[in-house]
Amino acid sequence: MSEENWIEVGSTDSIEEEDLIRFDHQDKTFCVYRLIDGFYATDGMCTHEAVHLEDGLVMDDEIECPMHQGIFNIKSGEALSPPACEDLKTYPVKVDNDKIFIKID
Amino acid sequence: MKNNIIILGGGQAGIYAAREIRQNDSESNIKILGEENLLPYERPPLSKDFLLDKKNEEDLYFYSDEVLKKENIDFEYVSITKVDFENKKLFTKNDEVYFYDSLLISTGSENKKLSLDNNLINDVYYLRNLEEAKTIKDKVLNKNKITIIGGGFIGLEIASSLSQLQKKVTVIEIGDQLMGRIIPKQIADLVQNIHLEHGNEIILNKQIDKIIKKDDMYEILLNDNSLIETDFLIAGIGSTPSVKLFENTNLKLNNGITTNQFCETSIKDVYAAGDVSNFYHPLYERNIRLESYQHAQNHGICAGKNIAGVKTEYTSIPWMWSDQFNLNLQLTGICDDYDEIIERGNDINNGVIYFFLKNKIIRGACGLGIAGKVGRDIRITSKLTEKNTIVDKQILSDQNLKLNKLIQK
Repeated sequence: MSEENWIEVGSTDSIEEEDLIRFDHQDKTFCVYRLIDGFYATDGMCTHEAVHLEDGLVMDDEIECPMHQGIFNIKSGEALSPPACEDLKTYPVKVDNDKIFIKID
Repeated sequence: MKNNIIILGGGQAGIYAAREIRQNDSESNIKILGEENLLPYERPPLSKDFLLDKKNEEDLYFYSDEVLKKENIDFEYVSITKVDFENKKLFTKNDEVYFYDSLLISTGSENKKLSLDNNLINDVYYLRNLEEAKTIKDKVLNKNKITIIGGGFIGLEIASSLSQLQKKVTVIEIGDQLMGRIIPKQIADLVQNIHLEHGNEIILNKQIDKIIKKDDMYEILLNDNSLIETDFLIAGIGSTPSVKLFENTNLKLNNGITTNQFCETSIKDVYAAGDVSNFYHPLYERNIRLESYQHAQNHGICAGKNIAGVKTEYTSIPWMWSDQFNLNLQLTGICDDYDEIIERGNDINNGVIYFFLKNKIIRGACGLGIAGKVGRDIRITSKLTEKNTIVDKQILSDQNLKLNKLIQK
């Protein structure tokens, strides 16, 4: 596993608990979440229509799309509620010295 | 116990009810009777991405044939012409009979039609189903000037799509604002400005006196004697619940089928869900009828639970959206019964929301923003109205303060 795929997102205190931030890297965009039990990352765009999930609402382990209320599980990426039916891609996250890193393939 | 469950109406409420029943009851026969020769499909894209060729027919279906087969849900294309509630039977026009133990009516709603002279009846197009969307998409190809009669959600969504197809669009609305039945004027005016900026013409407060057909075009005479020339006519002037089948029966009707908070109608073992149901909402303590995606889905699910014996009250807060150009409009709760309005934001790039309060309690909110910008706050508002929350107005009005904290325990 190459270390260079771990990309620094920012410091842990840049995300409030039960919230998320948008993170752009090269031509890709992601959402990075802070849940009660840790940090998680998914693709940034909803799989239903081209809207960024950064404006969505985080509740427990779920992110709800701000446009049409499709719901995804943040940890597994599973689409839980229509109109979303295609799962959201998730990415590994690690915290090192109060900095968040995500592993982009 | 193995029952025969029939779902009359093959739309969104029907399919969600069927799947919910199956989740709770593996034995009963579940049969959906649909009038359209199509599996249940999503309607919102018809006036938008479907017209714009961004979505095809295949993208619209909720579930495939395989999913229904796997869950042992029958789907039949059939038109029911008579109902015998006493003996629990449904009849087709050829007198084929369907027996039920429990019946869900999810027949939806249908378009109101303009009263027109006979020679014009086939010249005005409506959009509710896939067939009509295909027709409009096909027919407008070689037309330029399009007139849309009715400035509600559907008319404006079509206006937005056709404008993006480089058509010259005119919208004629009889009321003094767009989307006047449900959307507050503050937001309606913002939407109007966007249409004007994109070159659409919006005519308010005008009635059509006469439509005159002239070769390949039409002249529309308005009640102020002004004249509009157009190549193509589309009307979106509202809808009525599809209840004709039940008009001479004992089923209690009042702007749809009267239903309680458990989706039960006035007749035992008969349920109703979705657009056709005028249901009792415990939070608002009155009956309401909703025509929206979220409602069709959630009301169908609730009916499914109740039919399967899982007694479940429907308390969902109304929520609806409309997408026009690159904007997303959302409304939640009740925005027509208030004593105070609070504004959040003043730039649609970041989202503008109006909160409607009564006795200091948030009753509803309506917002408009570039795709996604108002969704989170509208969703939070839904949760606040559910709990009759009294909220610090400063937080509501200051866009720099996130609303998330208001719903955290």
